[in-house]
Amino acid sequence: MIDKRLFSLPGTKKLFIMLAGLTLLQAFAILFQGKFLAEALVNSWEQKSLQTIIQPMTFFAVAFILRHCFNWINNKIVENYAENTSEEVRSRLLDKVYTSGPAMISAEGTGSLVTSALDGIDLIENYFKLIFTKLMNMSIIPPVLLVYIYMQNLASGITLTVIVPLVILFMIILGLAAQAKADAQYHQYTILSNHFLDALRGLPTLKMLGLSKRYAKNIYTVSDEYRRRTMNTLRIAILSTFALDWLTTLGIAILAVFLGLGLINNSFPLFPALVTLILAPEYFLPLRDFSSDYHATLNGKNALSAIFKILEFKDTDEEDTLDNFTWDKNSEVNIKDLVFNYTRDQSNADSSLDIDQLKLSGYTNIGVIGKSGSGKTTLIRALGGFLTPDKGVITVNGKSLKHFKQRAWQDELTFLPQSPYLFAGTIAENIAFYAPESTEEQIETAAKKAGLTDFIDSLSLGYQTIIGEGGRGISGGQQQRIMLARAFLANDRHILIFDEPTAHLDIETEYALKKPMKELFKDHLVIFATHRLHWIKEMDYVIVMNNGQIAEQGTPDELSNHNGAYKQLISNMRGDQNELL
Amino acid sequence: MNFFKTFKHDTWVKPYIKQYKGLLITVLLLGLVTSICASALMFTSGYTIDKAATHPVNILLIYVPILLTRAFGIGRPTFKYIERLKSHNWVLRVTSNLRTRLYTTLESDAAFLNEHHKTGDIMGLLSEDISHLQNLYLRTVFPTVISYLLTIIGSLVLGIYNPAFGFFVFLLLAIEVLIVPLASVAIESARRERQKQIKADLYTNLTDNILGADDWIISGRKDDFKNLSAKNISELNTSKNKSKSFRRNRDLFLQLIFAGIAICFIIFTNLTMTDGQEQANFVSAVVLCLFPLSETFIPVSQGYEEWPEYRDSILRLNTLKPVENNLPKQVELDPADFSDIEINNIDFEYDADSPILIKNFSQEIKKGQKVALLGPSGIGKTTILQLILGDLTPQKGTIKVNGHNVQEIQEHREQIFSVLNQKPFLFNTSIMNNVRLGNENKSDSEVKSALEKVGLKNLVESLPDKYETLVGENGSNFSGGEQERLALARILLQDAPVVLLDEPTVGLDPITENDLLTTFFSVLHDKTIIWVTHHLQGIDHVDHVIFMNSEEIEMQGSPHELYQTNKHFNELYKMDQGL
Repeated sequence: MIDKRLFSLPGTKKLFIMLAGLTLLQAFAILFQGKFLAEALVNSWEQKSLQTIIQPMTFFAVAFILRHCFNWINNKIVENYAENTSEEVRSRLLDKVYTSGPAMISAEGTGSLVTSALDGIDLIENYFKLIFTKLMNMSIIPPVLLVYIYMQNLASGITLTVIVPLVILFMIILGLAAQAKADAQYHQYTILSNHFLDALRGLPTLKMLGLSKRYAKNIYTVSDEYRRRTMNTLRIAILSTFALDWLTTLGIAILAVFLGLGLINNSFPLFPALVTLILAPEYFLPLRDFSSDYHATLNGKNALSAIFKILEFKDTDEEDTLDNFTWDKNSEVNIKDLVFNYTRDQSNADSSLDIDQLKLSGYTNIGVIGKSGSGKTTLIRALGGFLTPDKGVITVNGKSLKHFKQRAWQDELTFLPQSPYLFAGTIAENIAFYAPESTEEQIETAAKKAGLTDFIDSLSLGYQTIIGEGGRGISGGQQQRIMLARAFLANDRHILIFDEPTAHLDIETEYALKKPMKELFKDHLVIFATHRLHWIKEMDYVIVMNNGQIAEQGTPDELSNHNGAYKQLISNMRGDQNELL
Repeated sequence: MNFFKTFKHDTWVKPYIKQYKGLLITVLLLGLVTSICASALMFTSGYTIDKAATHPVNILLIYVPILLTRAFGIGRPTFKYIERLKSHNWVLRVTSNLRTRLYTTLESDAAFLNEHHKTGDIMGLLSEDISHLQNLYLRTVFPTVISYLLTIIGSLVLGIYNPAFGFFVFLLLAIEVLIVPLASVAIESARRERQKQIKADLYTNLTDNILGADDWIISGRKDDFKNLSAKNISELNTSKNKSKSFRRNRDLFLQLIFAGIAICFIIFTNLTMTDGQEQANFVSAVVLCLFPLSETFIPVSQGYEEWPEYRDSILRLNTLKPVENNLPKQVELDPADFSDIEINNIDFEYDADSPILIKNFSQEIKKGQKVALLGPSGIGKTTILQLILGDLTPQKGTIKVNGHNVQEIQEHREQIFSVLNQKPFLFNTSIMNNVRLGNENKSDSEVKSALEKVGLKNLVESLPDKYETLVGENGSNFSGGEQERLALARILLQDAPVVLLDEPTVGLDPITENDLLTTFFSVLHDKTIIWVTHHLQGIDHVDHVIFMNSEEIEMQGSPHELYQTNKHFNELYKMDQGL
């Protein structure tokens, strides 16, 4: 029921002790509340005057209020704990994104991480709140009351003791039946429940196919089918709550009957009978509470284990092997026998990697080409330090490394992905991303080099225009230019890594971007993955990837004079359309 | 109060309450009976014990209360069970109607859903609104109505016995079920609104954190990375803490009032019911029957508190209005007779404030012709396709199909035009069903032969479920190229004479792109094709290329001719080919 890893979170043990104390106090408040109420009622029953009940009635009121005050304190403590702990978890989660970032993101998926960090945290906060209180209430309150009831009336004590295992047994049996039924229907069920959203999203398509009008009938039919199935499942699913309710209320009824018969037979006075009857619902209450909110508890538990799974993701070590490192025209990287395999649960659209030998040196421009899934992106990401190779011999300026996830190496990098990510913020902030301390003038110079000046001048807020998620949507071409400006501004970084930067752009935009990009290439080591062939002309060296291996490498001239993988790939990419020439 | 304003022009909640009135009344009665049983169980139990304590000579004297105790003991869970089933049944019935209604409303605007509702995932939002309405009933309306009925009935019963006391209890209960809930909404409404807003910002922050993780790591700005969301998180927590603290205090207050009511009952029974044993036997009954009712009264505030969320959903749904279609008289056009599309000097702008997007555009497209439309993004290429389809109407000029205005053939438009865009929508059902949407009258073997033509036969037959394989949400079980091929098979079944291709290969690698384009143009060889594309890959498949810029048609002609005579085209083509 409780995840043991919970105790690894700060404050959990202390919370447990405090809650146990408070719940015990609460149990006694409940007990006294019942006792004094019974006393007052017995006096009224004996037709005694108002004076005789003032004292028990006051004590009853005090106990009642105390009970709810303890509950108030209890809630406050648990809610504080839940908030602090879930914040702690969120903070650890963000640290994790930063430290093992991309490798983990590719394993988990962006959507699932955002959901974990936002909705997941809310779920676990709620889970913390529910689970501790309920668990404590159930393990402390009923025993305390039961001991008192045994002291008052043995038969009632036995009745109440016997019912509990019955309740649990029924709930388990019915819970399992409901689970089996739900599991059997689950598949159909999710399809049906998503059908409506699917239809809404597909509406334009249905319209194109001339089906949209007729489909309205289908919406009703499917929705009604969903209703029918839901009702079928629900009938069984809420049976367990029904059984719990039934046994507890029937328990009270049976108790009342027993007590009534006992009283007639004159075996005990009214007070013990009445106090037992009053306390019986309180005895069952924690049990009923425990089974309610079952789904909230379950969702919270799942969210928590999803987050723990992320937190337990292995970090890379030896990140600071490379120190005092700068890249210049004499620098050199040598890679031998580098192997990287995606784990099974990673989304591997691209191939795994197996590189025999590769050398990067000075300010050369290196093109990486290959068909989709050939391992281009994997190679680029391994070089960027986003993926940690399983094995390999890497030397950078003579220093041997296990992987490229080196702070000093990454400080030399600028990364320009296929779909650039712009942050919610101003254009200026986005340009100054690698160099947040830059002056306005430096930012404007960089923007000018990237050919952004005209675009920015056309905006009423200029450099202060908000872009990114919440801001103004801008075209793919301008986004790439902002990335270029970013790279121009970060001129202390000497390695540029491009991953298909122009794949989504129309040909004229691409044509226009070529000039600033060529300018940027100067005095940089450029690693450029692309399937746009014209870039090859700008490259000093080309790597042809196939199946995660380097199929061929050399200068473009060497490769085009040799009838190998390079020529084959180029002719495939061009298609059979050379007839225009 | 805005509560009434919300419902003044509402058409999404009120009409449905009337629709299944019988079932609704049953639900409310069952809820009421459940609460009454819970109360009556304690009443009869209390009476049984009190009566038994007087040692009646005959056990038969407590036989009736014993019987009633059992009956109520069984009745409470049973009615509750039935009530839960019935209420879900009612809500789901209403949901089916709401969904159909939402669908039909959106359908009238189908072609522009994406343009008219730009912000985020509007479809997801609307479909969630309907779930919110479900919760409105289950979590707010039903419990509230039941508690009100109970308040009235309880006060009346007491009132018959003692009018002053009945009225007094009524006032106390009114604090529990009306005053405090209203105060809750008033205090919490703005706070919840604010929390929702911060949460949306936080969502952006966290998405920035995670989608931009690569860049953050490279930049080495770890502190900034964490600070990105820190401010919103702390603001959200401060606000949430206020809410929590309010809720704790409120619940304590509600319990105090309840304790007050209990004390009143104890005093009242002592004062009025101690003039004889028969009467005194009812003392415990009357006091004890109060306690189970706290479960009915106290949660009302919680239900009220959720109101702002429901209000937003109700308001959003009510802003949706079906779009009137003002189509002229429709004419029948046999697809086999299709001869030409004539676009004559059209001007188009989205609205009076936005710049004129398309200026004086003319083109004649003859049956069987293959035309490519090129130009930078944002220039209105897709808009031209929408104009040809008749989803948009030009401000000036005409578009005619076989001499009929395109607006006159909208009723059976799918017989003339089919469309394939960059992200064809696949429904989360089997391959067979998805393809057959093209033409529901086609047999299984015709579907299979279409799949064979688009080159998917081997792939599909290698899958364990073959043609019954589910395509996944949005086609996610298949790659981009495969999704295009599935959509192409659908179009083959649709068999319309004109096919509009809207950048179907964007984002695919050149080899896949080449293969796909070859397939497109070979299986559609007898169709008229208008192809919007963003580069020159596969351009030799067409007879006519139109290059647009923001002013005008920059150049047009056959690709061969342009390559020979136009320097710009020549350069672009060479760049595309890497020459």
